[in-house]
Amino acid sequence: MLSFINVVLLILFSHLRQWPLRTVLTIGGVALGVSASVAVRTANVDVLSSFEQAVLTVAGPTTLEVAGGEAGLDEQLITRLRAVPGVTSVSPVILQTAVQMRRDQPEQAIQVLGLDLLAEFNTRGFRVDQPTSERQMIDMIHPHSVFVGEKLATEWNLSVGDEVHLLIGTGSCHCRVTGILHGESDQRSSWERLAVMDIAAAQVTFGMIGLVDRIDLVTAPNLSVDEVAGKVRTVLPPHVTVERPMNRTSQVEQMISAFRLNLTVLSWVGLLVGMFLIYNTMAFAVAQRRREIGIYRAVGMTQGRVALLFLIEAGLFGILGGVVGSVAGMLLAQQLIALLSRTISDLYVPVSAGGAESLWAGPWFTMGMEGVLIGCAVSMIGAIGPSVDAGRTATVRALAPGDYEASQQLRVGRLALMGCALLGLAGLLSWPGPIQGIPVLGYMATLCLLAGLACLAPLGVTRGSGHHRSIGPTTGLSGVMRTIAVEHASRNPGRNGVTVSAFMVGLAIMIGVLVMVRSFRHTVEVWVADTVLADVVVAPSLWLRGTEIGTVGRSLPQAWTTMLSSIPEVAAVDTYRDVRMTVNGHRVAVVSRDLRLHARWSQYLVRSGNSSEQLNRAAEIGGLLVSEVLADRLGVREGSSLDIMTPSGVRQFPIVAVFYDYSTDGGKLLMDRALYQSLWHDEFVTVFPVYLRERASLDRVRARITEQLSVATKGGLPPLVISNTELRKEILEIFDRTFLLTYVLEAIAVVIAMLGIINTLITSVLERRREFATLRAIGGSSGQIQQLVLWEAIYLGAIGIVLGLIGGGLLSLLLIKVINKQSFGWTIQMIIPIGSLLQAVTLAVLATVVAGYFPARWASRQPVVEGLRDE
Amino acid sequence: MVTIRQLSKTYSRGDAMVTALHDVDLEVRQGEFCAFVGPSGCGKSTLLNLVAGLDYPTSGEVVIDGRSTRTLNSQDWTTMRRETIGIVFQAFHLVHGLTAEENIALPLMLRGEQGRDIEARVDDLLHRVGMRHRRRHRPGELSGGEQQRVAIARALVHQPRLLLADEPTGNVDSHQGAEIMALIRGLAQSGGQTVLLVTHSAQAALTADYTWVMRDGRLVSRTTPSAQSVCPS
Repeated sequence: MLSFINVVLLILFSHLRQWPLRTVLTIGGVALGVSASVAVRTANVDVLSSFEQAVLTVAGPTTLEVAGGEAGLDEQLITRLRAVPGVTSVSPVILQTAVQMRRDQPEQAIQVLGLDLLAEFNTRGFRVDQPTSERQMIDMIHPHSVFVGEKLATEWNLSVGDEVHLLIGTGSCHCRVTGILHGESDQRSSWERLAVMDIAAAQVTFGMIGLVDRIDLVTAPNLSVDEVAGKVRTVLPPHVTVERPMNRTSQVEQMISAFRLNLTVLSWVGLLVGMFLIYNTMAFAVAQRRREIGIYRAVGMTQGRVALLFLIEAGLFGILGGVVGSVAGMLLAQQLIALLSRTISDLYVPVSAGGAESLWAGPWFTMGMEGVLIGCAVSMIGAIGPSVDAGRTATVRALAPGDYEASQQLRVGRLALMGCALLGLAGLLSWPGPIQGIPVLGYMATLCLLAGLACLAPLGVTRGSGHHRSIGPTTGLSGVMRTIAVEHASRNPGRNGVTVSAFMVGLAIMIGVLVMVRSFRHTVEVWVADTVLADVVVAPSLWLRGTEIGTVGRSLPQAWTTMLSSIPEVAAVDTYRDVRMTVNGHRVAVVSRDLRLHARWSQYLVRSGNSSEQLNRAAEIGGLLVSEVLADRLGVREGSSLDIMTPSGVRQFPIVAVFYDYSTDGGKLLMDRALYQSLWHDEFVTVFPVYLRERASLDRVRARITEQLSVATKGGLPPLVISNTELRKEILEIFDRTFLLTYVLEAIAVVIAMLGIINTLITSVLERRREFATLRAIGGSSGQIQQLVLWEAIYLGAIGIVLGLIGGGLLSLLLIKVINKQSFGWTIQMIIPIGSLLQAVTLAVLATVVAGYFPARWASRQPVVEGLRDE
Repeated sequence: MVTIRQLSKTYSRGDAMVTALHDVDLEVRQGEFCAFVGPSGCGKSTLLNLVAGLDYPTSGEVVIDGRSTRTLNSQDWTTMRRETIGIVFQAFHLVHGLTAEENIALPLMLRGEQGRDIEARVDDLLHRVGMRHRRRHRPGELSGGEQQRVAIARALVHQPRLLLADEPTGNVDSHQGAEIMALIRGLAQSGGQTVLLVTHSAQAALTADYTWVMRDGRLVSRTTPSAQSVCPS
């Protein structure tokens, strides 16, 4: 075995030395595919683990968390909980967000934790200097005292005694740094990025007198946590949840699972295209070395070992590509983490990016090894076909020229049949529903679709030239070059088919995703235009930062309604409240507003019936309007009812209508503001949609609102007064930001496909050196040789583009009607974005020409004599 | 037609320098048929490549049709081959994807010519090389002899004044070889072309007006088929 390995290494390194450029291209392709996969996986893991670490660090020894949702909990519950047998410790917690103000400008948002400091000095896992005097102790619990994490203090350049200006909700607070928090161990700790206040101070600062966000319990170690949880529930109001801290991570994980899965699958596209690249390289290697294979077989190498030789070579490409790709992936992940955190914070829950330091402190070695394994596996899978071919090559035939392509010719028809069968199978797989909420069959249908088209690619290559076009008297010079190029390309369906497939896959995914995103954007645009009708929206100052600013930051006092209504040019003011609740195990947005007012001034895109009538009816009977996503998830429809846990117990709500909504993927419930307040006793408003009288001046109203409300914010930042146009623009900006990552991953796949084309053309140029030299010898110029190679690139590119357009169209249907619908539940109106498609095709043509240019230039510069001598 | 002065070619092979041609002087007049014979590696093909501008000499000069090629660049050589030189190779070197007639028409098209004239000239040459009935066949469908006929037609289609033939019978049997040589001789004579033939075959060399024997990169002796005598250079 050792001697075989020596032989393998000897052969491998001689090949690598012989074809350094192709080796570099192949390794580069694998590396790019691996980098995308590693980057997305690393970013996914980092963002979630940062969240998990933050949850668990802050939880400390807590075994159960009692929470009442965004409305908070009455602090009176603490006394009841202390009396529950098995509960050994009860700690009130406030967890809110504040924004650092620097020169009156909002900067970084931080989490502020309100804890019973006197009781929790040594229990939570952080260290501060213990108060040694009564004065220090009073300072510690002073309403404007704050402890800041070590890292935060360094970044903000704060020391004990310094003043820090924080924006809290609509107001502001000048707090004094009382101490610096350190993690208990030397390891990185979430405490280093937090601020901590005494619970009483936090209640005052965040306007939560008598309320807490959560109550943390420590249960007796000799009792089962679940058993104690059961007892705890008996003393609490029905809507209050009792969970282990870890559950919060699971909930977030579940919430963003579809988003993460789609991102991960998209990151595999690069690997899939890389697989084609490897197949191509190895298939050519087998064809090129057929005589060598014959010699190995003749001197006693077994079939299996010949195949193994090629597999090991591919594996080596994979390992090298994996190493490079892993490093590149980790670097890419640093950029991706910020983008991903922002998107998740925009759409789901506030998560903070662990950042570059956490990445390198994290499991980078494991990620790197995974990358190497992925690269190796992808390469070896891609090389299976050519390796088996190599092993099966008969010794005598191996020594004869032209065998490889001749055998490939025979397979074109069979492959095409298989392609049709796979396309049929893709169609069948797209019919059934998801499996456990995951569109498994949809993904399989996508794979079958791409594989089916890949199988048709060799047929496209042979038939793409049409019937043989003879060079007649009217054939121009470019016609001759074109004909030679096309003839040559169509004579090699095996190799060129794989190149076309790789390009087609990259392009089909690009076009499919493009059509899906454009259709989605169009649907959202229509939805925004039809439903966002308020002339002005008054929102918390940092509302556009999404969930990052916390619940207090997203709450406005209801009293502002009167103030806004008093402005002469204002015709109506709605009170829109958006809180997150768990309904039947699903975290949903519960929206309450004045439905009658909304019916008069605006509308919802209801699935059936008239919006105004449905809204008025819901207000009248205390019913709900449910978004289509939630209706599908909960299995409810118009006319059915839904049980929801309210602070006063379970209540059944009739469902009046189902409406289209694209603002959240968790689903949305809509009810009348009066009904919501009567049940949840929530006096806050998230935003005020304001409708103006006819001929009112937007600028004047805006100035009046800002002027009146700046008095109410008591020195804090004035609220946002956003015009309808600005709001619509902002919604679409968030949409575009969400899909930015998608474009990056797509671009990687297209670059790998380009490498495939370059690789094939270099292969073709190397193989045809003699032909080019002949053409030079009979009067062809170097420019004409360049033209010839470019025509070949264009021919392959054109077939790839045609198949890519067909594949992209079908893929977009699968994405819109199957994968997206099953993953997120949104109904997307499909459109054909001609402009974007033209851009994509132009990009593909440019990619083809660029990919063809360098081999063409190289071919035209080769010495003629050597080419003529070349066998 | 062709004047060669002090022509040398040295290659580097690893650390060693190999001299393929050593101070060759030669003059071939318009319409002459000159053959070069000699053992493998004696420099015959190198000489032909230098005359065709496919390779560059280390020193010395080739004058074609009164024009020194010393200062010609790649584009000038392309023009020279398009207008003045036709080449026939041992391995035919036909373009596989094209039919016989398309292969023949190729040099004209590379010059940018179009129109009925091409068709007529291709047809004429197909007739003269006896390949009219195989005009639509591709190289893979032709025998070695047939392929070489097409290659000869291709070399002559643009009516070059100089025809260079590098072992044209090397890949065909002796019977076909004789036919090929007769064809080259006949076509060149009728077209008034000067022919430089490189061959291993004494039989093929007999077709020439005279033969140069080469050894170790030098022209050693000149023979004429009629005189059957060897003259010192």
